[in-house]
Amino acid sequence: MKRKMVSVLLTAVMAASLLSACGGAGASTESAPAAAPAAEAAPAAEAAPAAEAAPAAEEAGAAAAEEATGGADVSGKTFAIVVKSAGNPYFKKAIEGFTEVIEGNGGTVVVKEPSAATVDAQITEIQSLISQGVASISVAANDENALQATLEEAMAAGIKVNCFDSKVNADSRATFCNQAGTTEVGQALIDAVLDLSGGEGQYAILSATSQATNQNAWIEAMKSIQESDSKYANLELVEVAYGDDEPQKSTDQTQALLSKYPDLKVICAPTTVGIAAAAKVLQDQKSSVKLTGLGLPSEMAEYIGNDDAHSCPYMFLWNPSDLAKLAAYTSIALVKGEITGAVGEKFTAGEMGEYELKDAGDGGSELILGPPFQFNPENIAEWKDVY
Amino acid sequence: MAGKSGRSIKAEEKLTAKKLLFTWEGALILLFIAVNIFNMSISQSYTFANVLREMPKYLAEMFMVLPMAYILVLGDIDISVGSIVCLTGTLTCYISNAGAPFPVVILGCLGTGLLCGAFNGFITTSFPELPSMITTLGSQIIFRGIAEISLGGGGSVSYTNTKQIMPLSTKLGKTVPVIILVVMLAAVIFTVVLQRTTFGRSLYAIGSNKVSAFYAGVDVKRCRFIAYVLMGFMAGMCGLFLTAYTYGANTTTGQGFEMEVIAMCVFGGIASTGGKGTLVGGIIAGLIITLLRIALGQANVNSQMILVIVGALLIIAVLIPGIKGRFDELKKLRAAA
Repeated sequence: MKRKMVSVLLTAVMAASLLSACGGAGASTESAPAAAPAAEAAPAAEAAPAAEAAPAAEEAGAAAAEEATGGADVSGKTFAIVVKSAGNPYFKKAIEGFTEVIEGNGGTVVVKEPSAATVDAQITEIQSLISQGVASISVAANDENALQATLEEAMAAGIKVNCFDSKVNADSRATFCNQAGTTEVGQALIDAVLDLSGGEGQYAILSATSQATNQNAWIEAMKSIQESDSKYANLELVEVAYGDDEPQKSTDQTQALLSKYPDLKVICAPTTVGIAAAAKVLQDQKSSVKLTGLGLPSEMAEYIGNDDAHSCPYMFLWNPSDLAKLAAYTSIALVKGEITGAVGEKFTAGEMGEYELKDAGDGGSELILGPPFQFNPENIAEWKDVY
Repeated sequence: MAGKSGRSIKAEEKLTAKKLLFTWEGALILLFIAVNIFNMSISQSYTFANVLREMPKYLAEMFMVLPMAYILVLGDIDISVGSIVCLTGTLTCYISNAGAPFPVVILGCLGTGLLCGAFNGFITTSFPELPSMITTLGSQIIFRGIAEISLGGGGSVSYTNTKQIMPLSTKLGKTVPVIILVVMLAAVIFTVVLQRTTFGRSLYAIGSNKVSAFYAGVDVKRCRFIAYVLMGFMAGMCGLFLTAYTYGANTTTGQGFEMEVIAMCVFGGIASTGGKGTLVGGIIAGLIITLLRIALGQANVNSQMILVIVGALLIIAVLIPGIKGRFDELKKLRAAA
């Protein structure tokens, strides 16, 4: 029977050694321990300005003094980033960008990559961050509403919460770093059409479904920009086709467009499924019609090129690294108290320039990263392995 | 009342304090203390208040450890529980969003769980020749399928009236989460039933030897059916409390819970071969795993590494009795020679 005891102790020792071995691998932080804020502040985002008024009240010691004087850097403070799941190259880029900015400003980064792409796993990670008493949390949410209870708890504990890539609802955040502003996407797409068509001629749009919110908003933006400026006057939108984000239907719709409009010059597909399907059709048929839109570099790499052998000279999507950098600057601004998350506030995001918080249309505020990122023959090799 | 295999029923043993220390449960208590000391050393944030705050999400799973112990003691297994959590959670949201009063929401959720459990129980007892691993694998896919159909294209649903569900996630006196009290109550009831009632002993008898239990007059079919129904009911309970914390459900709700719950039971000394182990062990083991995960999370050990550590602990725990058995055999052989 004594053996059992010995083996149990052995287990403990083994587990301990395992842990000390891997402890170094995980991001270890020697940050200030939880200040155990007992503040029972109203958990809603609207309460954030009130909490901001006396930011020092909840912080402990030197950190508080520094903040009260509007300290220039954020050394000694911990900034957390919670991504959707581990092993996702898109978020690996995001983490790189986030870390670069925070560490460049003297802060400490805690990276939380949930073991599964579920909201449950994210709740666990965020709860752990609340215990650690981090200064801010930037989260790419797996669900818009499910994190509300947890994030409200975090905000009540004095932690600044913002989200990037995928937002949480307005009650659960100070602000949202949006990668795709409707106008910015519309502008980039219509300019690409203008460029590829040589300034005049017919173009068609291959969209997702007819009810797709994002795509419809972008298409509307393209149309209104086209009407507002005379330089687009010679462009003619012949049809908006719907491929329903199904590869086969998108392929069929592309072929239909080609046979219906022999003078077609450009197809613009603001959906990753549509653009990939159209790219294949155009390239296989050696068509002279050019393609642009929003696409995943990994899927589009073989179609991107400036010569006639490639169907897509360039396309757009956003840069996850830049997005996370913006989230990092936003976190710093929130922690310093430069912004509270109210619409109309402005702050300087380091080398990225000045940003203004805009109305997100859901009761909260958002920051728009800027024009989408262009993927062209020069940079596609670098990005095709990322996402 | 010794079984055919010669094992005696735990409940009838007279336990002294010294003996208790040398049982698996005693060892677990020591490990529990060791883990807590270890946790405090790796994480400065490992305080009582923080642990209490982080616990509830894990405790929802603890609901399922209790009936899972019954099913494992029977020598059965139920891997559909994660899907039941998803289904009950989803339906609870829909019932609440349809404007139903709070008691109806709770009854609807637990009722759905009960029905799922009854379905499992019916299939398993009607076709005793099929291993329960396979039948519940089937129902796992069916239940999650139904949940995904009702969730539709968006893949998630959230409470429109979060105030209604909030009482389940509140804290009494702002410190003690309600769920802890409910889990404790359920744990006491399940432990007493398993360890101190005829039904509980029947489960051990069936798990030790189904055939001899049948000839001894135990209603094997009925006992197994009840165990599955309880399992479904408690999975519903888990779904109810989980959605109270996540304000909604989606297609990934409850994913992988079945394995975590079974792992806690097995770590607690409840053998999956049946007839062995106590619920006290399962509960302590569940707490050990939970606390370890909380502390490792606080120390920012990455989430995959935490899974590796918990997995390693589990394998070691399962191996120890086996190694001990081999030592005993060797001893016997030497004595004979």
